[in-house]
This record gives sequence, structure tokens and C-alpha cells, in this order.
Amino acid sequence: MRALLSISNGLAAVTDAVGRAAAWLFLPMALVILYDVLQRKLLNVYPDFQQTALYQFLPSTKAQELEWHLHGFLFMLCLGFTYIRNGHVRVDILRETFSQRTRAWIELLGCLFFVLPYTVLVVDLSAGLLVWNSFLMNEGSSATTGLPMRWIIKSSLVIGFGFLAIAALSILLRHIVFLFGPEELRPLANRYVKGDEIEEMKQDVEEELAQDAADHPEHRFGGGNGANGKQG
Amino acid sequence: MPWYEILPAAMLICMALFIFSGFPVALVLGGLGLAFGFLGIAVGEFKLVHFNAVPLRIYAGSVENIILVAIPMFIFMGTMLEKSGIAEDLLYTLQLLTRRLPGGLAVSVTLLGTILAATTGIIGASVVLLTLMALPQMLKRGYAPGVASGTIASSGTLGILIPPSIMLVLMADQLSVPVGVLFIGALFPGLLLAGLYVGYIMTKATLQPQSAPPLALDDAPVGLQFVGLVVKSFLPPVFLMVLVLGSIFAGWATPTEASGIGAIGATLLALFRRRLSYAVLKDVCYRSAVTNAMIFGIFVGATCFSLVFKRLGGDFLIEELINSLGIGPWGVLGMIMLVVFLLGFFLDWIEITLIVLPIFAPIVAGLDFGDHVGSAAMILPWFAILFAVNLQTSFITPPFGFALFYMKGAAPYVNIKHIYRGIVPFVVLQLTGLLLCLTFPEIITWLPSVVLK
Repeated sequence: MRALLSISNGLAAVTDAVGRAAAWLFLPMALVILYDVLQRKLLNVYPDFQQTALYQFLPSTKAQELEWHLHGFLFMLCLGFTYIRNGHVRVDILRETFSQRTRAWIELLGCLFFVLPYTVLVVDLSAGLLVWNSFLMNEGSSATTGLPMRWIIKSSLVIGFGFLAIAALSILLRHIVFLFGPEELRPLANRYVKGDEIEEMKQDVEEELAQDAADHPEHRFGGGNGANGKQG
Repeated sequence: MPWYEILPAAMLICMALFIFSGFPVALVLGGLGLAFGFLGIAVGEFKLVHFNAVPLRIYAGSVENIILVAIPMFIFMGTMLEKSGIAEDLLYTLQLLTRRLPGGLAVSVTLLGTILAATTGIIGASVVLLTLMALPQMLKRGYAPGVASGTIASSGTLGILIPPSIMLVLMADQLSVPVGVLFIGALFPGLLLAGLYVGYIMTKATLQPQSAPPLALDDAPVGLQFVGLVVKSFLPPVFLMVLVLGSIFAGWATPTEASGIGAIGATLLALFRRRLSYAVLKDVCYRSAVTNAMIFGIFVGATCFSLVFKRLGGDFLIEELINSLGIGPWGVLGMIMLVVFLLGFFLDWIEITLIVLPIFAPIVAGLDFGDHVGSAAMILPWFAILFAVNLQTSFITPPFGFALFYMKGAAPYVNIKHIYRGIVPFVVLQLTGLLLCLTFPEIITWLPSVVLK
């Protein structure tokens, strides 16, 4: 059981690392968009920009295709990461009334019968239909100045759903440990049956308000500094 | 009953059942799509090759789609703004500005909610932020808990309606209408609702001063110092609004481009306010990545679900069901609104926009409202914004309103009965706003018709 938990932690760590790396793609995305807007304005006043090496390297069509290429990788690679971080939306109304064991059973069955078949199907079909086909055809953009090698972006489905499957496997193992393992391992395995989204948001905002109270004592927000209130 | 009636109906029932199990919605949708595909194969209503459409549709619908790039960028912008601390500065200044008005503090919270809505659009986060920031203070100043909580819940949910709204981007994609039209069309309805809230708060504070007592900030800065404070706190959000909404409205940039510029603008703001560090940037990236993958996870799951649902004859079934009711275009519209309103109690806007909207969209597109809406091209935008107003209403409607749960979660010390009672007038205002938009479609259609000439 301890070994299962270690495997689960290892799989979770890998998925999380991939997601953390992919999360930085926000920055190049924003910069490419900025570049695209600026170069269009620049072309209006300085048409010779078209002759520069920069424009040759990244014309508008390429920039725009690069935007959705980056986004494709960004969200696909974060699907598993989000599951590991318990970020996929749940409808909590009934869940709150369930015991931890019931929740663990639901998670276990869900991983087994929903997530794993779903991810295996998508990985399998996209590897053949999207990536391999595209590679064989040497498929590129339909625009002459667009990006080549469509198989690269199409492989984001295979990789993304692959890591979602790994995340599901990790969570599945944890719940096996939680449900069938020894008593002392349970607290280590129950991360997902506890999660409380609102509580986490609340902590974030409270940190933010504490920072604000340090910077601007005159604001007097939140409940912590009640003594300063004018009309107590 | 034949299989093509049983399977889609069972699919909807199972969806409801499994979503309420508390398993992630995105994964329930994908898994159910698959399961019913295999059930369909077993009874001969589906073929294995039909699954081929799943990855193709996921790729074409969610990856190779430049309109949707606006969603991560708006999320990043909103998350970064939250870290930049402009909300706190703004609320402080707004309080000073409105301190002589009846119900000044509540008015300033409404205005803050409206401004936040115009820079981002994640309502759960907005409600939690407003609750933690303003609720303790309102209660301390002697506001009736109902007035205080009602103000916060309703202003905190304006974000799904007032552009730039992530929900409107998704709706535009689902309905195949330009994002710009929805953004511009949603502006007046959003401001109308904010105006109704302010009007109500001021009337209430005038008639019952004890429920919303005036502020006494004696040590408030005066003169030039005050002007400086106002400029300093208003400049950042106004700058961003002009940057993002201005460039869309003026036609300088597409919504996707505007979202990217907004993301960079928010980052620069945080930099100038000395809130940007490596740790903050990392945190904003990670957190935005989770929110974004959460939305696109549902998008992808809903793609799989609705593909199988349609293949099994689901949309045909729904269309037939609605036609057999014989309730005419207005009856159909009313029924859809009712369904959306009820679903809004339990589900987030993401699920409703991605599951329910695609089912109803083709039906609405075919409805004939005569010349009520003016041009036929505006029927879907009009419907989308009615849908949005309606959804916002359902979030604040007791006993299951979504925003009320967030609020109760963030402020466990408030009695839920006070929250319920305080929100009722705001629900009435919402319904008034919805009715006005229904009766006078010009509120929605006029601005796009002028701006997009």
C-alpha cells in the first residue's frame, strides 16, 4: 500500500511539473499577440518593415497561428495538472453531505470508468487520425505564409490526454490506498476528498488584504483590523 | 419507445445524476459520451467509427480556434489585476467619493463590482473578493446584513455580463456570432442593472437610514491630495478599460488581440505598483492555467458528450419535443429562459453555456419574432444577452443561488436567512432588467448597430 502511494505521488509530481512548465506559455502568448498588433500598426506607417528579417521570420499569419498553437499546448498540458490540483469544477451541493468514504468511492469509480476509458480513446484516436495522418501528409497551414508541421500541434491532444490519464491513475491509486489501505496511510491519501475551493479562494484574498493593510493602513478593509473602525 | 428516444433521454438523466455525484463535470461529460457511444453500438444506433469525430472535433473546435485564445488572456488579466491591489485602492476612493450620498458605502461596492466586471469576469472570485473586502466593514458601519450581502452578491456577479466577459466569448463561439457584437450589446444591459442597484440602495438608505447609515471618514484627505488619490486609483482600471474595450469598440483590435494587450497591460500595472515579483508572476501563471484548463476541460468534455448525443438523435428529440408543445416562439423563448434559470441554481455558467446553449441554439435561430428585434441577424445576440442576464439572476436567487454559496463560504458568520432576505429586492431588480431587455430589445441591439456601422 505504501508503494502504491509512492507511485501515486510520483505520477502526480510528473503531471504537476508538466503543467507548471506549460503554465508559463501565457507569457509568450501575450507577447506574440502584442507583436502581431504592433507590427500591423507599424506596417501602416513604415511599409518597409515587411522587408526586415523579423517580419520575414514571423509575419502576421504565422504570429496568429502561433497564438492558438501556444494555447493548444497550454490548456492540453494543464488538463492533468488541473485534476491533480483539484481544479476541475465539481457540483458540490450533494457532495458536501457525503462521507469521506463515499466521496473516495465516487472518485475511484469515476477515474476507473469515466476518465481512463475517455483518455485512452482520445489518445489512441488522435495519435492515428490526427498526428500520424498529418505527419504522413506533411500537412502544414492552408495559408502559404502559415506555420508548417501541423503534426506538432496535433500531438498536443495525445500528450495532454496522456497526462490526464496519468493524473487519473495517480488519483485512482490514492483512493485505493485510502479505501483499502491501513489506517495510518489515510491522512496521506485523502487530499482530494477534502478539497474546498471557496476556502482556498478565501485564504488567497485574505493574504492579499493583509498585504494591502501593510501598504495602506488607511484602507481598513476586512475584519482583522476592527479596532481602527471609526464607528466601531 | 424506440432506442433513438430512450438513449438521448437516458443520457441527459445520467448526466444530471453523475454531475451531482460531485465528480468533476468535465470528466463526467467525456466519460458519459463514451459510455453512451458504446451503449449505442450495442443496440445498433452508433458505430465505432463515429468516435473518430471526437478528436477531430476537439482539435478543430478548441485548439485550432483563435477566438478562444481570448479566454486564457482575459483570465490572466483578471488574475493579475487581483494581485495588483487596484481593487482595494478603488474601494477606498469610491467610499470617499460617495460618502455624502445616502447608502454611500453600498453604492461604492456596487460601483466597484461594476468596474471589476469591466476588467475581468470570473464571478466566484469577484464575490469572494468583495465579501472579504467590504462585508466586514459594511456590518461594522451598521448596515443591515441583508442590504450588505445583497449588494455584494449582485454586484459581484455582474462580471459574467459586463464585457469583457469570458462567458460572452464562449457564447459567441457556440452561437457563431462575432464576440464584438455580444460585448457591445451587453454593455447597456449591464449598466442598466448596476443603475437599478444604485437607485434601489439610495432609495432604501433615504427611506430607512438605519439600514444603511452614512459614513463618517473625518480624516479623509481633502483638496489636491484628494484629487491626487482619485486620479491615482482610477487611472489604472480606466486605462485598462480604454485599452481593452476601447480598442474593441473602435474596431482597432479583435477581441483576441484586445485580450492579449489587456494581459500585458495588467502585468505592467502590477509592475508599476511594485506588486510584480517572480513569485507573483509564477502564481498568476499557475492559477490562470488551472482556471483555463478547467474551462477547456469542460469544453472538450462537452464536445465528446454532445457529439454522441447528437449522433444518437438527441437534438432531433429535443426539437420534436419543443415543437410538439405548440407554444409559439415566445413560449419557446420563455421555456428556455425558465430552464436556464432553474439550472443556474445548481450549475456554474460554464456548464450551462457549454452544454445547454448548444442544444437550444439551433432552435432559437429558427424562431420568428417578426420585427420585434429589428434585423434577423440580431436575434441570436439578443437571445445570448437575455440568457446572460437570466443566468446572472439565477446565481443570486435563493435558496440555491451560486453566488450566495460563495458568499456564505467566505463569510460564515453571516446568517444565511439574512442573505436570503436581503437578496430578494435585488432579484426583483434583475427580473425588471430582464423584462426590460425582453420588451425593448433596443437596449441590447442599439449600441452594436451604431458602433459597428
